[in-house]
Amino acid sequence: MFKNYFKIAFRNLIKNKVYSFINIFGLAVGMAATIMIGLWVTDELNFNNHFENKDTIAQVFQSQTINNDIGTGPAIPRPLEFALREDHTDNFKHIVMSSWEQPRYLKFGETNIYITGNAMQEGATDMLDLDIVSGVKDGLKEKNSIMLSESAAKSLFGNETALGKIVKVNNEDDLIVTSVYKDIPTNNSFSDMEYIIPWKHYVTTQPWLELSKDAWGNNSFQMFVQINENTTMDVVTSKISDVKKNASSETAQFNPQLFLLPMKDWYLRSEFENGVQSGGRIENVWLFGVIGLFILLLACINFVNLSTARSEKRATEVGIRKSIGSQRSQLIFQFLSESFLIVFLSFIVALGLVLLFLNGFNNLASKAIVFPWVNLQFWLISMAFVIITAFLAGSYPAIYLSSFNPVAVLKGTFKSGRYSSLPRKILVVAQFTVSVALIIGTLVVMNQIQFSKDRPVGYDKEGLIQIPVMSNEFIGKKEVMRNQFIASGGALEMAGTSAPMTNVWSNRSGYTWDGKPADFQEDLAYTSVSYEFVETLGLKVTAGRGFSREFASDSNAVLLNETAVKYIGLIDPIGKFIRDSDTEDPSPALKIVGVVEDMIIQSPYSPVKQAMYVFDSDDNTAFYNVRLNPEKSTSENLALIEGVFKKNFPNTPFDYQFVDEEYGAKFESEERVASLARVFTVLAIFISCLGLFGLASFVAEQRTKEIGVRKVLGASISQLWLLLSKDFITLVFIALLIASPLAYYIMGQWLQKFSYRTTVSWDVFAIACFGALIITLITVSFQAIKAATSNPVKSLRTE
Amino acid sequence: MIQITDLEKFYKTEEVQTIALNKLSFNVKEGEFVAIMGPSGCGKSTLLNILGLLDDPDGGSFMFNGTEVAGYNERKRSELRKHNIGFVFQSFNLIDELTVFENVELPLIYTGVKPAERKIQVEAVLEKMQIMHRRNHFPQQLSGGQQQRVAVARAVVNKPKLILADEPTGNLDSTNGNEVMDLLIDLNEAGTTIIMVTHSEHDAKYSHRIIRMLDGQKVTENILA
Repeated sequence: MFKNYFKIAFRNLIKNKVYSFINIFGLAVGMAATIMIGLWVTDELNFNNHFENKDTIAQVFQSQTINNDIGTGPAIPRPLEFALREDHTDNFKHIVMSSWEQPRYLKFGETNIYITGNAMQEGATDMLDLDIVSGVKDGLKEKNSIMLSESAAKSLFGNETALGKIVKVNNEDDLIVTSVYKDIPTNNSFSDMEYIIPWKHYVTTQPWLELSKDAWGNNSFQMFVQINENTTMDVVTSKISDVKKNASSETAQFNPQLFLLPMKDWYLRSEFENGVQSGGRIENVWLFGVIGLFILLLACINFVNLSTARSEKRATEVGIRKSIGSQRSQLIFQFLSESFLIVFLSFIVALGLVLLFLNGFNNLASKAIVFPWVNLQFWLISMAFVIITAFLAGSYPAIYLSSFNPVAVLKGTFKSGRYSSLPRKILVVAQFTVSVALIIGTLVVMNQIQFSKDRPVGYDKEGLIQIPVMSNEFIGKKEVMRNQFIASGGALEMAGTSAPMTNVWSNRSGYTWDGKPADFQEDLAYTSVSYEFVETLGLKVTAGRGFSREFASDSNAVLLNETAVKYIGLIDPIGKFIRDSDTEDPSPALKIVGVVEDMIIQSPYSPVKQAMYVFDSDDNTAFYNVRLNPEKSTSENLALIEGVFKKNFPNTPFDYQFVDEEYGAKFESEERVASLARVFTVLAIFISCLGLFGLASFVAEQRTKEIGVRKVLGASISQLWLLLSKDFITLVFIALLIASPLAYYIMGQWLQKFSYRTTVSWDVFAIACFGALIITLITVSFQAIKAATSNPVKSLRTE
Repeated sequence: MIQITDLEKFYKTEEVQTIALNKLSFNVKEGEFVAIMGPSGCGKSTLLNILGLLDDPDGGSFMFNGTEVAGYNERKRSELRKHNIGFVFQSFNLIDELTVFENVELPLIYTGVKPAERKIQVEAVLEKMQIMHRRNHFPQQLSGGQQQRVAVARAVVNKPKLILADEPTGNLDSTNGNEVMDLLIDLNEAGTTIIMVTHSEHDAKYSHRIIRMLDGQKVTENILA
């Protein structure tokens, strides 16, 4: 029986090559897209699944209320560690203090590498259950030790053994390699951790770290914990939530609430809105999951439409089979096995497409997905996927085809009813609704990115590089370096800053000024900067002036951005003072010498934060910002600057970033969404058009006789073209009417998450509608014109 | 074998109701060869479809081998059909995608005959119909006469008790037509009951009895043998 079914199915496939191609290729494209999206979704959902203890590992987060706004983040103060160890130790298997991930220079012999890693407490190795390749598991026990990832060890030592070797870190400290661990997989929050140095070493490297011991207000650290087996994240959260609030009266005004964010949420659900977890990347995962399903549905719709449209061709067979004794259920089964065969063939083509395009997809999505050849689960899911798709695509045609009345069919009086094409029309409308909505959605995402990119950043980011100078060897060298850079001709100007120009590294409170309301809780972005800050960045000074060597008092001066002026409510700020609110603090008041235009330092989608740029009198320089000489080429400038750098720091690799590129990286996530959306939109349109092409050729074929008669009676080619095309155009038009308000609503909601956002403008709809209609016309016209220009004698003879 | 009493069938279009069979009654004995004649639209084909259990009557009784089958559902009808009835159509109605052998094999597949046994039976009937040499050809590669032989072969491969032939020579020239009629006679002589709808007086003369119909009713009945 099966053999018979497959034989017929196979011969039908070969006989109707165009339809078979549309069916198999269309389905294959849809399935390939769905498989790739599936692999991507799996990869996203498996993020941070690597560690054995993943279910009990968490990071301590903190919510604070400042002026009725609740801000949430992972930065915590150092004394929290001591408080938790003292009173709450029974909840935790491990409490691990950690620095932020930071790049450091590691040097062995002549080899110098610049890699990122963390400073962590001893419990880290057991908590993360690091896979030790060589050396001891507890490699952080000694203060002067360092643990390296396998690839870091390889870059430093080649094939030599790493254990026991002494590595110079940041040209200052000699640390002994105590163990080498297997690289942490890419889809993990710790994947960039290429070294770990002991926390106890880290806290002695800088004076401010020593001071941080008792500073509850200094949220400059991270804390990872592993909770005990017999408790839960919620229980522990409820126990520790008020620890900071109770311990420090000074910070209690911000109502600090501590909680544990489980490891599984770090990547996918790390966004908070007013203190409440509000999602994050998981939204994109769902979004693309839905798009994947839609694309598969579109391909299934082609199958349904083409099978039912061509049903008259199969009607005789149904009649004969019924007259011979086939039951309806047997016919349904037959047609389902046909669709299974087609889906299976499509699946094989789809696998080929996935293999072909997986690399490109990985680049597009910034992933390292490997095809899961040996993953049994993948094949089982694929099998289920094939069966479900076969049902999805095959059920309706099977039920429809098997319902034919054999008498009518065999008598030759069978004609599909007047409304038999209605479901097909509805499905075409559905297909184009999805496609048009995707077009509109993609355009809105692209518009939003462009809109934000066009937003004035407030400084000149082109031709500006930043050189990280965080190790101690750079202390006190700023002026020398500036002079030499300029003298080399490679730089026009240079300024040192305590943070990159593309991020805020410090937020401060505890200030007061004349007229400050009593209950005002200030929160300002804080960056310390050097002379020529304004000149180097090309900032526009809207009041007062920039820092100047001519004013000795500028060592205690501050610049505010325009938002800060509004924020603190000073009407005429120049010459006014900002003081530390702690009256016992000996530090002098800061004089406001200038106001600069807002610079976008954080998210280009959010309002600019109130910021103070304090003159750096202690040389807290973390970056040299260098304005390249516009009269020379970038490569020339870089060579000159590198020459100066090497002369002064021969043992330190010259590392730099272009500020405009760093800024561009802020759009990465949205751009990735946009480029993925673009690809899937093109696929959706392609699949829909493939189906339309098939239907158009079917209609042309079905109406051959009518076209012949009309031609004989004098119809022109354009009249015939219109006759054949107008039905489809009408359907697409209906789809436009449904898709437009739908997309308007959905994209309107999507835009709400950006404070700085574009609107869903009419031209987006115009482009989408016009595009969809043109594509439809081209698709349909090919068949219509072919039919209209054929010889009527031929078509009439077919009777 | 067949007893129909007051059989009725109506067709409804949007505005008009047509009476296709109007209280028609007659019997057919086992082994008989009955020809049904009448002008177009008199209800011959409707009758044949009801007798073949492809269609339902709207009234009256239809006894098949002593059992009332008028109210049978699709499932029961198809069960009865596949074991007892073979069809021969004017337009052959072979499945284009199947070879001669596969077309003839089809009824055996539906009755659940094992492949080896199917091969024996199909080859035997193809031999008998003298079409064995064309067993791997597709219908389009055959002449009309050959196609009808295949159709007859398919109708008889299951050894049905009843063969319903709807103008079996309608699409054939006289030589091929006569050959097909000879095949039917052979089958009838071997014991198969045959009911044949035809316009051809020549073909009708092969039968034992001619029932003439008009407007859904029996008008005359001539016994020839």
